[in-house]
Amino acid sequence: MKYLFGHAAGVETPSAVRARGWAMWLGALVLLGCAWGVTLRAEEAPPEQAVVQILTSSQVPDFASPWRFEPVMRSSGTGFVIAGRRILTNAHVIAWAKQILVRRYQDPRLLTARVVFAGHDCDLAVLELEEPAQLADVKPLQFGELPPVQSTVVTCGYPAGGDQMSFTRGVVSRIEVQPYAHAGNRALLAVQTDAAINPGNSGGPVFQGDKVVGVAFQGIPGLQNAGFFIPPEIVEHFLKDIADGHYDGFPQAGVTLEPLQNPAYRRVLGLVDDGRGARVDSLRFGGPAAQVLRPDDVLLQAGGYPVGSDGMIPYQSNRVAVGVAFQQPQAGEALRLSVFREGRTLEVDIKMEAYAGDRLAGRQYDEPPRYFIYAGLIFTPLSANYLETFGDPGRDYLWKGLAELTYQLYHLDTEAPGAVRPEPVVLSGILPHAVNADFALRGRVLVNRINGVRIERLEDVRRALLENHGARHLIEFNTPEHGMLEALDRAAASAAHAEILRIYGIVSDQRL
Amino acid sequence: MKLLRFLFRFAAIGLCAGAVLPAQSEWEYSLVSIEVTSKVYDAFQPWNDPTRAVRKHGLVIGPGEVLTTAQNLPTHTLVRLQKGGRGRWYDARVTWWDAQSNLALLTADSPAFWEGLQAASLAEAVSRGPDFELIRWRDGNLEERRVEFGQFTVGEGVLGFAPHVQMEVAADLSGLGWAEPIVREGRVLGLTTHSNGRVCGVLPAAFIRRVLAAHRAGTFTGLGYFDFTWQAGGNPELLKELGLEGPSRGGVVNRAGHVTDPEKAPQPRDIILAVDGFEVDSEGDYLDPDFGHLVLENLANRAHFAGDTVKLRLRRGAEERTIDYVVPKARFTDELVPREVFGTPPVYLVTGGLVFQPLTQPFLRGWGDEWRKYAPFRLQYYQYADAHDHRDSLVVLTGVLPDAINLGYQDADLSVLDRVNGRSIATLTDLAEALKTASPEGVHRFEFMRGHNLQRLLLDAATLDEATRRVVEHYGLPAAARF
Repeated sequence: MKYLFGHAAGVETPSAVRARGWAMWLGALVLLGCAWGVTLRAEEAPPEQAVVQILTSSQVPDFASPWRFEPVMRSSGTGFVIAGRRILTNAHVIAWAKQILVRRYQDPRLLTARVVFAGHDCDLAVLELEEPAQLADVKPLQFGELPPVQSTVVTCGYPAGGDQMSFTRGVVSRIEVQPYAHAGNRALLAVQTDAAINPGNSGGPVFQGDKVVGVAFQGIPGLQNAGFFIPPEIVEHFLKDIADGHYDGFPQAGVTLEPLQNPAYRRVLGLVDDGRGARVDSLRFGGPAAQVLRPDDVLLQAGGYPVGSDGMIPYQSNRVAVGVAFQQPQAGEALRLSVFREGRTLEVDIKMEAYAGDRLAGRQYDEPPRYFIYAGLIFTPLSANYLETFGDPGRDYLWKGLAELTYQLYHLDTEAPGAVRPEPVVLSGILPHAVNADFALRGRVLVNRINGVRIERLEDVRRALLENHGARHLIEFNTPEHGMLEALDRAAASAAHAEILRIYGIVSDQRL
Repeated sequence: MKLLRFLFRFAAIGLCAGAVLPAQSEWEYSLVSIEVTSKVYDAFQPWNDPTRAVRKHGLVIGPGEVLTTAQNLPTHTLVRLQKGGRGRWYDARVTWWDAQSNLALLTADSPAFWEGLQAASLAEAVSRGPDFELIRWRDGNLEERRVEFGQFTVGEGVLGFAPHVQMEVAADLSGLGWAEPIVREGRVLGLTTHSNGRVCGVLPAAFIRRVLAAHRAGTFTGLGYFDFTWQAGGNPELLKELGLEGPSRGGVVNRAGHVTDPEKAPQPRDIILAVDGFEVDSEGDYLDPDFGHLVLENLANRAHFAGDTVKLRLRRGAEERTIDYVVPKARFTDELVPREVFGTPPVYLVTGGLVFQPLTQPFLRGWGDEWRKYAPFRLQYYQYADAHDHRDSLVVLTGVLPDAINLGYQDADLSVLDRVNGRSIATLTDLAEALKTASPEGVHRFEFMRGHNLQRLLLDAATLDEATRRVVEHYGLPAAARF
């Protein structure tokens, strides 16, 4: 499990962290960082002048009670000025922000900023000041190349433990595809370094010379001297994506590749043991790869990169997962593949697409959850955010209802794509009232049908309830017991609806 | 003959002792210690048979007969008995055990063991406390401690899933659940089965007496269960929707069992109004004359055993009807993922270094006490699924013993087999049969269920047997397979 540096700091302001006794330990790093510094030519402005502290006040919705928000949380991260008088930072630094303040290097003013683009899949965001001219005197930072392994990098930011900018130096430990913790269901190229990256560093630049070669973003609990930064190619992909004024996201092909190292498997597929080619193991139903690839095709090249039998490609003196090649095109662009199939080598193009079908299975940000409340019954989409309201991510699946929700969200699409609902809906909870007090169920269960209507998305709930003219509403739930039932007196439910909203202080019965 | 003569003499003593109840201080003549050495399942190396020894308690209940819980006994290798809390251990034999009822009977062949022992009496009447005594041997001394009555409840047993009545007591003691007797006024009220904090589960004497009586009479067919599921009929609007006016009552069936004939089994949306003559209230409970309000599941075993007929009075749409429902036997083998496997050593099949086992709950428990958190979710979910594609069991790749033949598959484990060489796989026998015929390309094709990380792998057929022999030798396996 990875953790994020920045927003995860929560309300832990630097002074709060100091109060917990970390000051001496991190203070030593600050001193060392100042001594290391960044090598500059005398006539240039120091690059740290372009590095800013970002102070975020955020408010996360309660996905189990979706009309409600959690208390306002203050956190801090780092950003830096890029071309166009914009600030680049991590998406997790500004997620759910209600207010964003920017503090420039050695400047007492708090400047108000807003989010222009957020790429939650790649954990990057672009901000603008409400008055962009306030950055007019700042020289934007320039991006460099992917730093080689073992080369030295310097991080720069505002981590916990003090109020002033902090520098740390380390080497590039390795470069490979890593899960990006912010989205939860995406993995992209990332660089590991032993330079200290701590809460508050998030979004800060990682320098090599005077060029930015990465954006600090996450670590792994339990691993010492291991922080991660987002490499230049991911940043550049993001910036190119938003150039048209819209963020599409990193594309996905919908193909699962497996190493092809077993001699028998290679022989059956007609390949010699030359270390070339990875095997197509499965294809996402309806995905772009399914249009041109077949199971047991052997991928020899992707985007010009030779694919090894270990499923890796050579990439700037590194060996990284072939997925890196699939992440290079923008959504809508084609990726050329060389495929070995039934004794012949084919050249095929995949039109890459930004896949949103697993949106609910990843963490969502910035858009409050949809909901519909009727007679005290709270309906909302099943999502990863909703499941997180159950608590501990290492969940105990003794409770069958949770197992069913987990299966619906994460497994049904690959096992039975025909049964997938575009937006599964749960009865999240019940606002107690005489009209619903006899329900045996209290929520946290998938809604199957209402008044005979199969619930494919939240709008179906509203339609099925409001268009019913029978004496009662019959609601069928899809539990492991295969179909608990509940019923409501329709007239009594309609009559009680407004009163329930009033009693529980709910302004609107829906967000659709 | 000598033994028989002794047992006869013992019987006379036992009967006498039953008529004159032992004083509390005389429990030392009825309560014995049991040492059980049993095999422990090694989830990831099923060919290993590690053992562990535990001590528990038993009660002399008749001539040559010691009663205890069945826990730890199904895989025993050695059982010994000790009387008086100290001294010599006597070899013993398990004469009967039943996992669903969690009961077992032991005997010892040495006449010396039985000398001086007397039979304890299992209470007939149900007692509700408030206070009982718990008796156990501790460091060679008989410990008698007060426990508080909690409630009667119905639940699955510690070893089985057949529901039956249980008693809860509260005790300020640790380490309970080893068949310690709960007693009052010289009679045994039950045997402990487990503890969770202060609360301790107890098999009530009335339940034990009934099972033992049937066993002795040769009429015990095993515990049964209701294989349909239902929900409490507490929502009057739902009952009206299903055609039942009036006060809330009954249980609403929401899933049918294995029998689909509506004349023989309840169907979804039926309302169960009475079971075996007992009216079902809106909580799904009935009023038991002995134990008070209990959930209707208990009626599968209250006066019946598996195979018996229970009358269910149902509301089905506009009409009320009574059906004769045959109580199915609670069998682990009827579960897609059996929660226990007794009677045979763990089975496995190793081929080309790939280790296959049946998917069972004991395998999932290989992830430790918190296995429900840490065992792979997809494997766990099969427990909640119906029989898959008409398969009533599953085979899972549980590990890979690295060898040249399986190069490239080192991380390919924890996936459930779908087909091998085109043949659907439900058991290890299916797998062994499928491996007899390789594909025309000279390989064995293993395909896994959709949703697992790996969909298929191939092994070279020509060298498979040789590779398997090599793996068996290299990794020190006793055999490539155990069925």
